[in-house]
Amino acid sequence: MILQGKRVALPATPVVHKRFEAHAAATPDAVAVFCAGQQVTYAELNARANRFAHFLTARGHGRGAKVGVCLDYSTDMVVAILGTLKAGAAYVPFDPSYPAARLRLLLGQVPGLALIVASPATARLVESAAVEIVGVEQLTDHLAGLPVTDPETAVTGDDVCYAVFTSGSTGTPKVTAVRHEGWYNLLNWLALEYRLGRGSHNLVVSAFGFDLSQRSLMAPLFCGATQHLMASRNFDAAMAYRMLREHGIRTVHCASSTLYLLVDWETARGGEVLSRLDYVLFGGEPLKVERIVDWARREGNTCTLLHQYGVAECTDVATSYDLAEYRPGEHDTAPVGRPAYNTEIHLLDERMRGVGAGEYGEVCISGAGVGAGYLGGTGPDSERFTTVVIDGAPRRLYRTGDRGRVNEAGDLVVAGRMDAQVKVRGMRIDPSDVERALGRLAGVREAAVVARYTEAGEAELVAFLVPAGADLAEDDVRPRLLETLPRSMVPARFLNIPRLPLSPHGKADRAALVDRLKGL
Amino acid sequence: MIAERVRGIWCRELQLDDIAVDDDFFALGGQSVIMAKIQMAYIDELDVEVPVDQMFLNPTVASISEYIESMGAKTT
Repeated sequence: MILQGKRVALPATPVVHKRFEAHAAATPDAVAVFCAGQQVTYAELNARANRFAHFLTARGHGRGAKVGVCLDYSTDMVVAILGTLKAGAAYVPFDPSYPAARLRLLLGQVPGLALIVASPATARLVESAAVEIVGVEQLTDHLAGLPVTDPETAVTGDDVCYAVFTSGSTGTPKVTAVRHEGWYNLLNWLALEYRLGRGSHNLVVSAFGFDLSQRSLMAPLFCGATQHLMASRNFDAAMAYRMLREHGIRTVHCASSTLYLLVDWETARGGEVLSRLDYVLFGGEPLKVERIVDWARREGNTCTLLHQYGVAECTDVATSYDLAEYRPGEHDTAPVGRPAYNTEIHLLDERMRGVGAGEYGEVCISGAGVGAGYLGGTGPDSERFTTVVIDGAPRRLYRTGDRGRVNEAGDLVVAGRMDAQVKVRGMRIDPSDVERALGRLAGVREAAVVARYTEAGEAELVAFLVPAGADLAEDDVRPRLLETLPRSMVPARFLNIPRLPLSPHGKADRAALVDRLKGL
Repeated sequence: MIAERVRGIWCRELQLDDIAVDDDFFALGGQSVIMAKIQMAYIDELDVEVPVDQMFLNPTVASISEYIESMGAKTT
């Protein structure tokens, strides 16, 4: 089963910052970035970024170098990112709100990191790490004598533009690299398909470390539109909603859970600002459609909700679905739609053969977005990048580990992980299916299900329940679950827990849950 | 007394009967959805918009009340 995205020709050298430079030349006085009451035009931003690029090149950090950026959202951050790209180097975002120990751990994971741009406060946090620190003040004070002209580099679409951290199956953060061609293709698809362009305004609401934030940061500058940045380290619903209203924002890119908070805000306090946006592009975690459906169907809501799917290893977004087409069924998962331009989705079985129509298989991605792989990585996860032959020609392919199928309408539906499947008494079970069933029971606020092996070597399921009120008793939950699930899918044990431990990316930390089972 | 009103808001949104002024929000089971509700309650009941960054920096009833007081919120 293959879903084929539209074929759209890219320029011979699809390099992202060249699009920004073209806007700087064509509309120099248009506002590029608005932050903390100050605005910067395309011409000013381009000149500042060029100076930083010449600074990097003069120090030998040109094509192929890796430059860390550890700054809060600000014009300086955008200067550092664009300057790095213009020098031919790749940037690596570091969230300055992370604790010092985690920042140092992450810094050590990037092989050949040339230097890191940091504010004075962050510089203190990471000073013991073996990496050169460039103070953010250098972006303004010390570069005055350097040229403001666009640097000439030999960068091609195959060069790395950024690299972000992913948690990976081993729990150790890995840094995965994205190529210019893939990022150009993604941004070009968004620009053409959703007519983003000059006069449009975007607000960044996600944390800097995420792949979606790289897209949200660059999309307006790729289109000649205006970028708005919040002076906040953490998502702030009150501030975001106020900025949506006062700044005439048209687009927001966010995680599903951030969309819920914005919807809650508008629903509780009244208002039509969110409902009148052009687009919210969201995804990154399974959608709880009940959190947004009442708001989405309200009269006068003209916001197009694009439910998207992808992985950082393949440049962030691979598919998109207009949620207006969705009619929720009872045990249904909202689709994630069709592939981006120049992108193919394959559904394959364990032996890399295509599954039949409607059948579940592993979601695999080929096309322009397939990234350059993990930096310095030869671990087991590197094997997820492989090669397949399509129409007689070899193509790179990435196996996501996600489990999906194509529905009757021809849209991709993603449900759970391949590697999360366990065999219990011979039955193949996906714990996320059990979690969904538990989540629908009255009295259950959240649920996580993990597998463990008994001394006899048999797998059994254990459910962790976050009760909505009083603790839940096993003999209350089990019969209710048996009404919707076959016996093989009903967990052996049920444990109450005040809240689920979360990974640094805000997802349920399964390893921590498995740890809790030791000695039980 | 701001701290009493803040404590009332926390008890209601965290669904807990009793919270000490130096209990940590996150240790009490607080997360982003509850934080947004508390932020909304500060606006509606104390007429003050508390930035989420400040809520992270001041994760107890005592410290956030001190911050709110410094902003000159309604005290009655």
